[in-house]
Parts: sequence; structure tokens; C-alpha cells
Amino acid sequence: MVEPAKKTTKNYQELSSQLNEILEWFESENLDLDKAVAKYEQATKLLADMENYLKNTQNKVKKISARFES
Amino acid sequence: MQEIIYSPTDFVAVVNQTLEYAYPRVIIEGELANFRISKNRWVYFDLKDENANVSFFGTIYQLPGPLEDGLMVRSVGTPRLHPRFGFSVNLESLVPVGEGALKKASDLLYKKLDKEGLFDPKRKRPLPIAPRKIGLITAAKSAAYSDFVKILNERWGGVEILFADVYVQGDKAPLQLAGAIEYFNQSEQPEVLVITRGGGGAEDLAAFNDERVVRAVAASRAPTLVAIGHEVDISLAELAADVRASTPSNAAQILVPDRHHELSLLTQKQQGIQKFLEQEFTRQDQQLKDSRSRVQGSLEQLFSGEIERLTNYRRLVSLFDPKAALRRGYAIVVKGQTYIRSVKQVKNKDRLSVRLSDGTIQAEVIKASNNG
Repeated sequence: MVEPAKKTTKNYQELSSQLNEILEWFESENLDLDKAVAKYEQATKLLADMENYLKNTQNKVKKISARFES
Repeated sequence: MQEIIYSPTDFVAVVNQTLEYAYPRVIIEGELANFRISKNRWVYFDLKDENANVSFFGTIYQLPGPLEDGLMVRSVGTPRLHPRFGFSVNLESLVPVGEGALKKASDLLYKKLDKEGLFDPKRKRPLPIAPRKIGLITAAKSAAYSDFVKILNERWGGVEILFADVYVQGDKAPLQLAGAIEYFNQSEQPEVLVITRGGGGAEDLAAFNDERVVRAVAASRAPTLVAIGHEVDISLAELAADVRASTPSNAAQILVPDRHHELSLLTQKQQGIQKFLEQEFTRQDQQLKDSRSRVQGSLEQLFSGEIERLTNYRRLVSLFDPKAALRRGYAIVVKGQTYIRSVKQVKNKDRLSVRLSDGTIQAEVIKASNNG
């Protein structure tokens, strides 16, 4: 079972590149089954975090108060 | 009534006071004539029509770009009587007027900046994928602002939008646009600068063909994405930008990935990893089966070898069985308790027991002689 995703402090690109590293590892020639299981768990956690990011993260607008005519 | 007699200085002061009161700011539209730049800084020109010429004085920083005589322009300024050089309007801002003039001014600026390499494709930088901090420069109440933010929110999350509310058309637009670009580069350092406005006529979009804006876009340390919603001529600011979008919505589409698409990619990736893992399990299982059958094979080989050796031993052992020899017709001769192996062990009259396979013969030695 996948645990509910916690709020992540990493940005999406960081999560994405970690996931891609795992994918590359899986695509490599010699897999170690024990490591594969551990990597799979890692990937599942990353995927949950990424899904959480995509579904729940909002954009924030901050209006600049400076004047620009100088 | 007594007439006032002025000194020239006083008269100039009084006229200026009157002008300041009556015409603090004038807008004059006319044909540009006698345009010249002195010491690469001071600008002199006249605006004329069929009957009159009005002199203007200003600096190059107030110009939208290179100009030439004959262009129709609208100038904003303050009328002044100079103590030595006479009447002129101190220039505040100037814009070409009418499509022809705007096109001509834009062409002049294009030539100038193109020579400097500002539009060179080699200068273009890629935008970061899914930036977390962006600078947005547009007008707050514009459709461009709401379209951009709406599409951005629909597509992606986690973006901090630092928003500079500026005029995107009119006299103040060029300085505000250029100032906002400069502000972001100095103070906030966003990952991307988005400069956008909706479509409009050539005059509405004139700020995006202003030299100050185009140079600010080209000089921006943060990569720039410029989106002006119009179909026809591309503005020079767009040409100078790292990336151009056709509309504010299109800018949001270019800037961030689509979360729904990304979610389906994630599902694919998840399935891919699962498949890899399953394949690995199957492979390992097969290896296990192979190993088991190899061990079994080796054991079976070992056993059958041993069985064969045992059979041979058994055959060998049976050859030494005396009973087998007796069955084949051999006999064992015993004298008393001694097995007789040589004729030398017996003499005549010795009593011997001759054991055969089925019984014993008691015998007496008549004669013992050597073979041959």
C-alpha cells in the first residue's frame, strides 16, 4: 500500500530527476533484486509526492509595490 | 495706466511663469522636421504643419528610437522661453503617430538594433522547464493578466508570480516596461520574465517597438518570454525576446507543462517500473529454477556414477567368492586344518578333505607329483 503523500519541500524538477535516475537504473543491464525492490519503494514514494504536487500545489501572485518609471 | 517696463531677464521669467500657469503640459502632433542629435545626447527638432513650426528640445533618453524627418509624431512637453535660444518645448515623450509613421520608426529601429545583433538567434536562451519563480509584467486590469494567470493555474502549480503592474500603452508605457524589466533583474531575479499584453492597433502596441523597451528585453539577465496578442507585424520586443508567444494564454502554455499530461506520464512511468520489477522477478525465478535443475542433474549424475562403480565392485568381489570357484568346478583341498596350495605339503597316504560345491570327498594321497 502506498502511504498518503506528505507535503514535499522539493520542487517538481528535483523529484522528476530523482525518478528518472531510478528509471535509468531499472533500464540498466544488471539488476539486483533486493536493490530493485528498494528502488521500487523509493519510486513509489516519489510518484506519490509528484502526484500530490500536481494535484494540490497552487500558484501565488505577489504584486510588486515598487515604481518603475525611474 | 502705467506701462510696465521689463528687463529681458524679467520678461523671460514672466513669460515662463505665464506659460507654466496656462500650459503646464502640451501635446502637439505634427510632421518631424530639422531633426538632429548633438553630442550624442541633445535632441533638437521642429514639429510642423502647412502654416507653422514649433521647436522642441530634449535628450535621446526621451525618444522611442531612431527618427527621421517627415515622420508624423506626437510630442508631449513643457513650453519654455529660453533666455538665450528663444522659444521651444522641452520634450517629455514622443511617439510616432499613424500606421505609416509607426512602421517607419519601427523599421529604422529594427535596422539599428539588428546591426548590433540584438535579434540574433544565437542570443536566444532556452526557458527553464516549470520555473518556480517568474516575473510577470503587464497591466493588472487587462485580459492579458487574467488569461495568463488563469491558464497558468489550470496547467501547473507551485509558481511564485511576482507581478509588476505597468502601463502597456501610452506615454508612460515604455519607461514603465523598461523600468520593470530592470527592477526584476536587479531586485527579484526571477527564473523567467514574462512581458505580455493583449492585441491592439499599431499605436497601442507602440511601446513594444520602443528602443528603451527592446533594449531592456535584450539585456535582461533573466530569460524573457514576450507575448503580444496580435496577428500581423511582430513587435521588436518580441524579436529581442528569448522566446515569443502569440498570446498571453500561449505564454502560459509555453512556460509550464500541463499537469494532466504530466499525471498521465507519471502513470506510464509507474507502469514501466512495475513491469521492470515483474520482469526481474520472473528472471530471478527462472534462474532459481535453472539452478535447481542443475543441482538435481549433478546429483543424479553423481548417483548413477556411484551405482555403476558399486556394480563393478560387486562383480569384482563375486570373482573372489570361493563358492563361485567351487561352482565352476574348482576344489579346496584341506589336510587337517591346513589348506593345501602345493604338492610339497603332502606325502603318500596323507588323508585329505576335498571340498566341492555340493559336498566333501575324503581322499588319500596315492602319489603327488609336480606339473609337467
